[in-house]
Parts: sequence; C-alpha cells; structure tokens
Amino acid sequence: MKYLMFPEGKIDGKMIPVNVIFLNVKDIEAAGMTQDEAIHEVAKRHMEPTAINVFDMDACTTTSDGICIEGAIVRMGASDRGRVNPDFGILPMYGFDFTEERLETERHLIQWKKLFPERRLFRGPDPSKKIIPIHNVVISGRASNNNSATEMMNIITMDEVLYPILGQLESQRGGDLLVGWTGETMSVGIGMTVAEQFGRVFPHPQFKAGQTAHNSGDYAKTLKQWIPCIVADKKTMAKYIIRALDCGCVPGRDIGCSPLNLCTACALGAEIDFDNIADSSWAELNSVGITREALEKPLNLSPAEVIARADELLPGIEDAKKYKASELIREYEL
Amino acid sequence: MKLLHTKLPDFMKKMYTAATRKYPEKTISIRGLESLHSAKFQSLRTGRIEKAVEEMADREDVASIDFVVLPRVPETMHTVAVKGLDENGKVIKVVLEVMNILHPTEEVEFGDCTDIEDHRPPIGLH
Repeated sequence: MKYLMFPEGKIDGKMIPVNVIFLNVKDIEAAGMTQDEAIHEVAKRHMEPTAINVFDMDACTTTSDGICIEGAIVRMGASDRGRVNPDFGILPMYGFDFTEERLETERHLIQWKKLFPERRLFRGPDPSKKIIPIHNVVISGRASNNNSATEMMNIITMDEVLYPILGQLESQRGGDLLVGWTGETMSVGIGMTVAEQFGRVFPHPQFKAGQTAHNSGDYAKTLKQWIPCIVADKKTMAKYIIRALDCGCVPGRDIGCSPLNLCTACALGAEIDFDNIADSSWAELNSVGITREALEKPLNLSPAEVIARADELLPGIEDAKKYKASELIREYEL
Repeated sequence: MKLLHTKLPDFMKKMYTAATRKYPEKTISIRGLESLHSAKFQSLRTGRIEKAVEEMADREDVASIDFVVLPRVPETMHTVAVKGLDENGKVIKVVLEVMNILHPTEEVEFGDCTDIEDHRPPIGLH
C-alpha cells in the first residue's frame, strides 16, 4: 500500500513538529486491511510523533468558515515511537448523507446540494462515540492530532502546526502549498466559523456565520499568530470561495465572515451581509485592518481576475514561501 | 470512614515507605503531583499501587523507581477563577472561565521498554 507523508522537521526556520501521513480508503481496501489496521501498520514504520489521516476522496467536507470541498478525512490517528494509544489514538468521523432537513440549520450546505449531493459529508466525530470530553483529538504519547485532524502538536516540545483541510488535499493532489506563520489575519479568520452538527471543532451548532468563536477582541489576532501553517495557495482558496458564492452563499449570513471570504466577495463585488456580522466579529476584523468601510467599496472584478490576482488581493498567512507539493511530500510503500 | 480516602501527604509517605522499607538503598522519585496542595486519594487504588511499588523494589535488577502520575484521560477540564482583590485582600470580583488542557499519554514514559503490565480497568468500567 502506498501512502504519502509530510515529514516532521524545520522548513524556512519553522518547526513542523510531527509527521503527517495521508492514507486513502481505496488503497487501504485494496490492501485488504481495515482502516484501524492500516493506521497501526503505518505507525510501526515511523518512530517520530505522527498524525495519520485517512481520506475518502469520494466524500466531501467543509472548511471551518463554511466552504464545501471534495475529499474528506474519515478517520484520524496519532502515533508515537510506532505505538498507537489503545484508548485515545484513533477516532472516526461521522458521515452524513444529504437531506433537505440539514439545510434548515446549516445554510452553507446549499453548496453540498448544488455541487455534489451524492457524496457523503464528514466533518468531526460523533461526540457520543468519543471518550475525550471536549477536543476532537487523538493522542498517542507526544503526538496530538487535534480539531478533527487539522492541527497537530508535539505535546512535550509544545510545538504545533496548523494544516487546514485544503492544504492537506492539495498536498495529496500535487498542488501548490504555502508554508508560513499563521499570522494575525488567519488567526482571526480561524474563529469565524459556521454552526455545524458534529463539526470539525465544535460537536454541536454554536457559532453561526457572522459570529466569532474567539470573541476576544484584539487578542484574537495573537492566538495562533506564531504557529507554522501549511495551506493551499491563494488561487486555490479563491477558486473554492468563488464557487461557494456562485452557489448563493453570502459571507456573514451563510458562510463565515473570515477575512478570506469577505475579501474574495469584495473583490468580486458579491453580496456581504454586513448587518449580520456581530460587533465582536467587527472588533477582531478591524484589529487586522479589515473594515466595513473598505469592504463597502467592491472592486467588481471577474472571477478569473480574482483568481489570477489572488496573491495580491487576498489576505493569508505571513512570511509564506510557495512550494510544489512534490517538493515537500514523500511517498512510502507499506 | 477514616480509611475511605488517603490524604496527599500520607499517599506520598506510603509510596516512599513501600519502595525503601526492605531496601533502604533504593530510591523513588515521585512526579506529577507537584501542583497539588491538598487532595484525597482513592484508598482502594492506593493499596494496589503500594503493592506495585514494593514488588518493583523487590526486583534485583531495579535500582530506583520513577513514579509518575499522568491524567488517565489526556484532556482535563479546569475552572479558571480570575479574582479581583481590594487593597485589603478581600475578593470583590470573580470571573469564571473554563480551560481544557491536552496532555501526553503514557507512551512518553516507556522509553524502549516492552515489558508493560497494564492493571488499569478500561475507561468507563472502573
């Protein structure tokens, strides 16, 4: 069975504290293993703290700010010194089939209906099936794979990396990646979630589009500021956000009011629900220079122009260097 | 019901005694309880742990014991109390928050050892 890995180590002075391994459900099935067996077998090959994410590319998921995308993590694992903790080392995600009822409480899922309703949707685990009380996390020894496998840590050195879902998908598809510091703007954006059942971070619907989960004013921009981050490049992000806007999603109402969603909508001249964005969200957005006054002056560019000029127009991580995924990702054979 | 739970100082003393009673030359270091100032320990497990410490000390190839207390569930939930005091030290305002802390699991303590006996009951079946 072939598998891919982003290895631990320093890149451009930034410490990636764990290996991140990508397994594919089809490869696991072809090898005649269960997903748990595959996680254990792969773990034995790597002594470093390691996150092991099992992907189903025929499923779909959402980003924390409500963008629907193809490909999903269906099970997450953590290993250290080749071991997987028997109680806390593996956790499956919950799979939904499309139903109209889900749209009533999760308006961003209109994308799911319009784009690929035949795909199963996975975000976080079923909270009744996990024994860690709060975090959607697996832990083995030093290795922690958190927030439904998008935030990995070495709990002893306390180093951490953010590896959002689009970055993980581009890593496997051979796309372009940015490696940098999370920075102030993305630190704010991480809190601009949508309310979801069995979500990546929150088990039950909590912080709706327009609200901030961080709710900490000027402090929000500092929360993840100095954590290394591996993300898809801005052109890829713009492409998916524009698709969500084309599905009728409005930032601040249907999808999160993250800086990236707001700035993409502003560049296109798409609708933003300014009045539904909470004062606490505006306080955090203003702290990184994103103001209602500026967003109310749309650029009215075409989608192609926005994608072409994404590096210039859209906010993102800091001190970032662009890589081809093939420069960073190693392939292994079990 | 004096024997139901063990006081923190008694628990520490019991572990030192179990390790050194027969072998005064052997040593034990206890880690993981440093932030506790007052606490009661489950007596049933206290006895079993004393027994485990004594049996470890009984081994001829063991010169010292490293005794580590880790959270069984590697996420602990804590209340944070932010207290405002007046100039006389009287509490005049309290804000309560919650903080969930992630910890490493027991594998960090194993080194290369493969001789591991797990006496813990499964989670939820204590």
